[in-house]
Parts: sequence; structure tokens; C-alpha cells
Amino acid sequence: MQALFAIVSTVGLFLIYQKLYAKWSKPYLLPILTTAITLVTVLLVFKIPYATYMQGGQWIHKMLGPAVVALAYPLYNQRKLVFQYKYSIISSLIVAMLSGLISVFLLLKVFKASHAFMLTALPKSLTTPIAMQVSETIGGVVPLSALLVMIAGFTGALLGPTVYKLAKIDTAISRGVSMGSASHGVGVSKLTEYGEKDVSIGSLAMGLSAVLGAFICPLFAMLFLS
Amino acid sequence: MQIIRTIVQIGILTIYYYLGVLIVNITGIFIPASIVGLILLWLSLYFKLLKVEFIRDGATFFLAFLTLFFIPSTIGVVDHPELLSKAGLYLILAVIISTLVTIALTGKWSGWIEKKEAAVKDGEQ
Repeated sequence: MQALFAIVSTVGLFLIYQKLYAKWSKPYLLPILTTAITLVTVLLVFKIPYATYMQGGQWIHKMLGPAVVALAYPLYNQRKLVFQYKYSIISSLIVAMLSGLISVFLLLKVFKASHAFMLTALPKSLTTPIAMQVSETIGGVVPLSALLVMIAGFTGALLGPTVYKLAKIDTAISRGVSMGSASHGVGVSKLTEYGEKDVSIGSLAMGLSAVLGAFICPLFAMLFLS
Repeated sequence: MQIIRTIVQIGILTIYYYLGVLIVNITGIFIPASIVGLILLWLSLYFKLLKVEFIRDGATFFLAFLTLFFIPSTIGVVDHPELLSKAGLYLILAVIISTLVTIALTGKWSGWIEKKEAAVKDGEQ
């Protein structure tokens, strides 16, 4: 009964918030954010343990693996775009992956963060579903990784345009590839203000860097954090 | 018809996922099973072992609700109040700075390569 209630309320809230977001596409109205905040509030107010919620929640969670597999479909559709800009896109993805991992690693070293927090932060630039699976694989705290992914996304969406101005990043490819590989879908949604090419390069970069990150993050963790 | 087709295709995608699980279990490689499944599916499509029509509706369904599937894990933050500690704030700060650095470096690099590529193409003509 509790399990069913958890499933129905999660799906129901999500559908309502999705409608709301379709009407006003503001980053702070993203369904993941609004649904999660509502559910967290309900759990805290009514003192419901997370484990109780997960009796139902786990059934929704089980769909995540097969859903990630489905990301192969947009990546297949975009294959021509990759070959068109192969050097700039592929080399930029590597630059993004290395600068993202090294900078967050060094910053956390300076801040004397715990080992667990470092592992948790590594997949922050990947799209949430893949970041969560990577976090689980390398031994990070999965829900915290999801939150850091959101923060990376909002950083790009809110401050990305300022970085573009300051650093004179002024082409569709460079905007798309940098946003897609650093701030995934949340950042890429901001690129609609620049143009369609920015968005398609951005979503391609997001997908490719997530797949790349699934290999590089565990490798990085093995080399520097074991 | 549409609904049945979508359900069958969700089944196909799930089979790919479990192929990924199988490969990870056998080889012991250190990457998520879902990514292995994703790569297998991409290769099957690319080498025409599987027609894209066979997964299109299922994939469209999954992608439309992708966010929904990671909500249960996300709200696991209720069991992690440490994010509101000083260490948690440093963690957030590190992610913000790192993201800005990544955007700047990647954008500059990409713009530079793009100019090089354009120069090479001009030279060929």
C-alpha cells in the first residue's frame, strides 16, 4: 500500500510539474527539481524514512538502466554531425573531460574534502542518469552526485553566457561543445537563446561526453583515488 | 497497436540493458552496465543488425520520462544532511568553479581548433 502510494505520488507529481514546465520553461521549474523538492519536503515533514519511500520508489529506479540504453537512439541519429566536426568536437570533449576532472580534484584537495566526497564529485559534468550510474560504480554517494550534477547544470545555464563574453567564446560549435560537456542538458537548454546549431552540437556533446566519462571517471578514480 | 509496439520495444531495450549487465558480470569491467548496453545498441544500429524502427517508439518513451526514473535516487539526499555542513558547501563551491573553468577552457580550445580547421580547408582550395 505504501509502495503503491510512493509510485503514484512520484509519477503524478512529475506529470503535473512537467506540464507546468512546458508552460513556463524556467530552469528553476525543471520537473526533476520541483518533484524532488516536493517529495523531500513531504518525507521530512511527515517523518517518513527514505527506506519506506523506496519500497515503491525502487520500481521507478529500476527503469533507469534500460532508459540510459535508450540514449543510443539520439546518438545514432546525430552520427552525421560527429563526422562533420570530428576534430573540433572530439578533441574538445577530451579537453572538457580532463579540465573538469583535474580542476574539481585539485579544488577538493585544497579544500581537504573526504575521499567519499571526491568520488561523489567526479561525474558532476555528465548527464544525471549516467552520472548516477558512474557514481554507483566508483563508490560515490549517488544522491549527492545527482545534486552536484544539478549544480553544474545551473552554473552553466546561469553563468555560461558571462564566461562566453569574458573569454570571447563566440561560435556555435564552441558554445555547444563547452556547455554540453560541462553542464549537460540544463546548460544546453540555455543555448536555445543562441541558436539551433548551438543546441544540436550541445546535446551531441552532452551524449558523447557522458559515454566518454563512463570510461574516464572510473579510470581517474582508480589512478588517483584508490 | 502503438501501445503494444512501445511495450515490446521497451522489452528490446531492457534486453540490451541485461546484455550489458551480463558483460559487466563476466568481465568485471569497471563501467556501468547501462553504458555497455548503450554502446551495444548503438553498434547494432550502426552495423544494421537492428533496424531503428524496432526501438524508436520504446526509446522515445524512455527519453520523454528519463527524468522521472532518477527522482527516487535523487531524493535520497534526505539521508545525507552532510551536504549542509561546511564540507558540503566546499563541495558545491568546487563544482561551481570547476564547471566555469571547464566551459572557458573547452570553449577556447574548440574555437581555436575550428579556426585551424577552417585555415586548412582554405589552404586546400
